[in-house]
Amino acid sequence: MNFRRDVFQAISDPTRRAILSLIAVGAMTPNAIAGRFNSSRQTISKHIQILTECELLKQEQSGREIYYHLNPEKVKEVSDWAEQFRELWEGRLHHMDKILKSMKKD
Amino acid sequence: MAEFVKVSKLFDAAVEEVWKLWTEPEYVMQWWGPDKFTCPVAEIHFKEGSTSLVCMKAPDAFGGASHYSIWKYTKIVPLESIEFIQNLADEKGNKKKPTDVGMPADFPEDVRTLVTFKRVGEDKTEMTVTEFAHFGQMSHFAQLGLEQSVGKAAAVFGS
Repeated sequence: MNFRRDVFQAISDPTRRAILSLIAVGAMTPNAIAGRFNSSRQTISKHIQILTECELLKQEQSGREIYYHLNPEKVKEVSDWAEQFRELWEGRLHHMDKILKSMKKD
Repeated sequence: MAEFVKVSKLFDAAVEEVWKLWTEPEYVMQWWGPDKFTCPVAEIHFKEGSTSLVCMKAPDAFGGASHYSIWKYTKIVPLESIEFIQNLADEKGNKKKPTDVGMPADFPEDVRTLVTFKRVGEDKTEMTVTEFAHFGQMSHFAQLGLEQSVGKAAAVFGS
């Protein structure tokens, strides 16, 4: 089971990213989400399902309505994962600076 | 593919010197490995269409494993830019799947890498490394300011 790969698949779709950005601002019902897109409700519902399956979205029942909200922990996990590759390069650039300084001395 | 990682640094060196960091094995060996790692192998074949083989070796405390990577050069513009595709490999330079060499399955494959060099002044060069990956959506996340939004969302839902 590789949930990270699933997360990347989930966010590889522009509509799903748009849904995430919408929900990041505030919890929404499935109807409200679908109302913001030109696609069919069925299509949007499928996108929401994928986002929920990979835990980027969480469901919350409020009275008779279901609200979707963002799961900040999961989003952070994804950005932390990317951050380690950036840090790797930052470290290399630091090494390069040192090398260039020692080249000068030679 | 979209930007995945983008880092820049301004060096107090002429562009010719910064360029050598990528073309001379002795220099590549000094920077490819992360902190405390070593780079025992840097077979550099610096030519469009050719492939270089580099290795990073973990410190013994971390198991001492060697991780080989290949860089296949797709475009070289002298003193301006270098483009190559990074992949994990075996010690002979054959491309390997991340899981074949003990890396996590989500380790990126076919990472297009662009290095640009900009002469900013005498003995001042700005170098930028950009990695593009199939899941470059990460930078899209950043562009959307989603992290910031997540903070807001957390504040809203946390209360």
